[in-house]
Amino acid sequence: MDYHSMSGQQSTAKSLPARTFHALCLAALLLVVSGCGGGESNVSLGNRTGTLHWGNGTEPQSLDPHIATGVPEHHIITSLMEGLVLKDSTTLAPIPGVAESWDVSDDGRVYTFHLRQNARWSNGDPHIAQDYVWSWWRALQPALGNLYAYMYYSINNAQEYYEGTITDFDQVGVKALDDYTLQVTLENPTPYFLQLLDHYSLFPVHQATVEKFGTADERGTRWTYEGNIVTNGPFQLLEWQINSRVVVERNPFYWDAENVGLNKIIFYPTENAVSEERMFRSGQLHYTNDVPTDKIPVYRNEGNPSLRVAPYLGSYFYRINTNVPHLQDKRVRRALAMAIDREQITEHILQAGQMPTYALTPPGTMGYYPKSDLTFDPEAAKQLLAEAGYPNGEGFPVTEILYNTNESHRKVAVAIQQMWNKYLNIEIKLLNQEWKVYLDSESAGQYTISRASWIGDYVDPNSFLDLFLCNGGNNRTGWCNAEYDRLILDVAPKMKSHEERLAVFQEAETLLLDAMPMIPIYIYTSKHLMNSSVKNHNGNLLDQTTFKELTLESDSSDSTGGNH
Amino acid sequence: MDRVILEKTDERGSSLWQDAWVKLRKNRLALWGLAVLVILCVVSLLTPWIAPYGYEEQDLILGATPPSAEHWLGTDIFGRDMLTRIMYGGRVSLTVGFIATGVALIIGVLWGAIAGFAGGRVDAVMMRIVDILYALPFMIFIVLLMVVFGRNIFLLFFAIGAVEWLTMARIVRGQVMALRKQEFVEAAYSLGLSQWIIIRRHIIPNTLGPVIVYTTLTIPSVMLLEAFLSFLGLGIQPPQSSWGLLISYGVETMEEFPWLLIFPGLTLSLTLFALNFLGDGLRDALDPRTSKD
Repeated sequence: MDYHSMSGQQSTAKSLPARTFHALCLAALLLVVSGCGGGESNVSLGNRTGTLHWGNGTEPQSLDPHIATGVPEHHIITSLMEGLVLKDSTTLAPIPGVAESWDVSDDGRVYTFHLRQNARWSNGDPHIAQDYVWSWWRALQPALGNLYAYMYYSINNAQEYYEGTITDFDQVGVKALDDYTLQVTLENPTPYFLQLLDHYSLFPVHQATVEKFGTADERGTRWTYEGNIVTNGPFQLLEWQINSRVVVERNPFYWDAENVGLNKIIFYPTENAVSEERMFRSGQLHYTNDVPTDKIPVYRNEGNPSLRVAPYLGSYFYRINTNVPHLQDKRVRRALAMAIDREQITEHILQAGQMPTYALTPPGTMGYYPKSDLTFDPEAAKQLLAEAGYPNGEGFPVTEILYNTNESHRKVAVAIQQMWNKYLNIEIKLLNQEWKVYLDSESAGQYTISRASWIGDYVDPNSFLDLFLCNGGNNRTGWCNAEYDRLILDVAPKMKSHEERLAVFQEAETLLLDAMPMIPIYIYTSKHLMNSSVKNHNGNLLDQTTFKELTLESDSSDSTGGNH
Repeated sequence: MDRVILEKTDERGSSLWQDAWVKLRKNRLALWGLAVLVILCVVSLLTPWIAPYGYEEQDLILGATPPSAEHWLGTDIFGRDMLTRIMYGGRVSLTVGFIATGVALIIGVLWGAIAGFAGGRVDAVMMRIVDILYALPFMIFIVLLMVVFGRNIFLLFFAIGAVEWLTMARIVRGQVMALRKQEFVEAAYSLGLSQWIIIRRHIIPNTLGPVIVYTTLTIPSVMLLEAFLSFLGLGIQPPQSSWGLLISYGVETMEEFPWLLIFPGLTLSLTLFALNFLGDGLRDALDPRTSKD
């Protein structure tokens, strides 16, 4: 059940199982009671007061935009902070954010941003171009351990600075021409550069606040805590109760404050999709992070309008730690990949229209279609494993799959465990960890095989393919191929036409799939339950929400759909 | 003279268990409970040979189906046979229940008896240790054990037992303190028996009543604790299963596939009832104070 609240402070061992047991017995009763409950629900109260109750999936790893890497963090950070450019919530085209306009040089390499004079930090401080120079300098400090540092590589000399071949930050292509003009020089014309600016890794941070609680490149200081953090977005942090909720309220200094539709947003760490769905039904949430796989057919059959399933630019895959001795052989990795029956997983376990995939990049991303020779072929897989020295799985060490605690990850892992056992005759163990612990284990390389996923940060194959750069912070597999790096970093950006660029990406992805440091499994669909009182929520391919646009309508409260 | 007395006590001591058995046999509910437990244990022992399917055998296309002729208790969402899963789950749950409770019983009874019997400073120190362990957050303790020794199912049994003995120790200590001043203990003293023999032969049998009742309560709570730990990734891992885990997964889908909750739930309840009836019966049968007629 909802174990967040149960961990830690229970002083007697006896009360834990007793509680679980009571919860089990009462669960059925509770469902009945909640339907006709007396008090006002979160949702109808929220609709009156302009408070949005948002299921956020998990406790955020960090609210520091230069440290966070996850989607749950993305929701909170984009409500608190804003980049130079925003994305249109429907078309995802760049629209003005902190920068009210920008000019691009003819060769597409120099961007000049004109910042809004009325933009302010949430403590009232002026928001100037120098803030960006300092923030980006901070994000490129190796000691900070920014896993997203490679997002800056399109900027002139940023990679060289990060890797230490240049020590003078003045040579990096970012300059404040005056307080409200920022000039960015790129290495090559980069078609997706404006989209990058809406990603939190390029968001500005408040220099005085960061420095008040530690040095600029110190990890995990208290500057992001409640009462300390100063941000520049439509909302500001009001309260952060660990494992309970994160509350943000309207930021009066935000340049577009009069157009912000909500007064407050409360983000809940709803790690358990089953209890999240129950919270939604009892009117405690406006929006859920996920829908339990077994509930999707039920909502579909009812024709319940709360269910929102949409295409989602994300890949679900398994990372393989290529430093583990028995996984160093690419034949072993390919054998594992070939022995997964993806269609059965998407059709019978996930059931929400996910698509089996045999490559990393979702097909159709900006007209890009990866080439893949990977198929489901248990016989060939067995053959490959035998060639690698494990005939019929003999002598293959017990291998562990790591996943973050979540019912659908568990189900996929259980299915794959059995497939590998059945087709390859190897023994697999499962290990689940809480989100933050899981991210740490994965980044530190303390895993054998790990569940992973990647959601596009912008709509371009590059957002997926630059994951597996040699020194990329989000690579985490130990796989490194100089030719792959060259194609992604040097060749593709210099291509003149879109088609040529895509061809280079295809070539790179073929290298990746041949070495198989990751096993592609399926392409995501986004699935949520949303209360009908939430207005102006436009679904998009990146499943990103523009919180400042949302409004709540109080009339249509409690229409969460039929009870079942 | 001395020899005669000693022989007489010896005879009485051995007849306590015979008396108990005679009394237990008259108690129908307790016998019924014993029979159920024996059957469950035998089935669990024989599971690898008599189970209709493999516990990890999946049939994703089949998916979750209600009870049918092929699958008497239905199948779960992976198309695995529930009867088989419950049988295999029983192996884990019953082992956890008995081993962890056994560990708790041995440590708790000895600790409580020694503290209560010795009294004074020894008692104070021993009970403060219990207090400190009580205050230690249980989860942190288990997580630390798992980190230091790695995840191992027997360690889990031990870890659960190692936190469950505290209450047992307190109960036993209270009983012992009350017993210590009774005439028959004084008598044993005056006959020159050593402290250890007095504890073993007179004190512990007299505390059996509450200890047995508490034990029958501990077994189910330990089984649920195992489910909770497994859910957090600290206990047993899929595709293995236990009753507690089957129930906690069953709860997730109780509206769509109620049989996934009902059958493991029924099995666990049956076990708990059996344990309670047997515990009640044993308490009546073993209590030396009700044994003179």
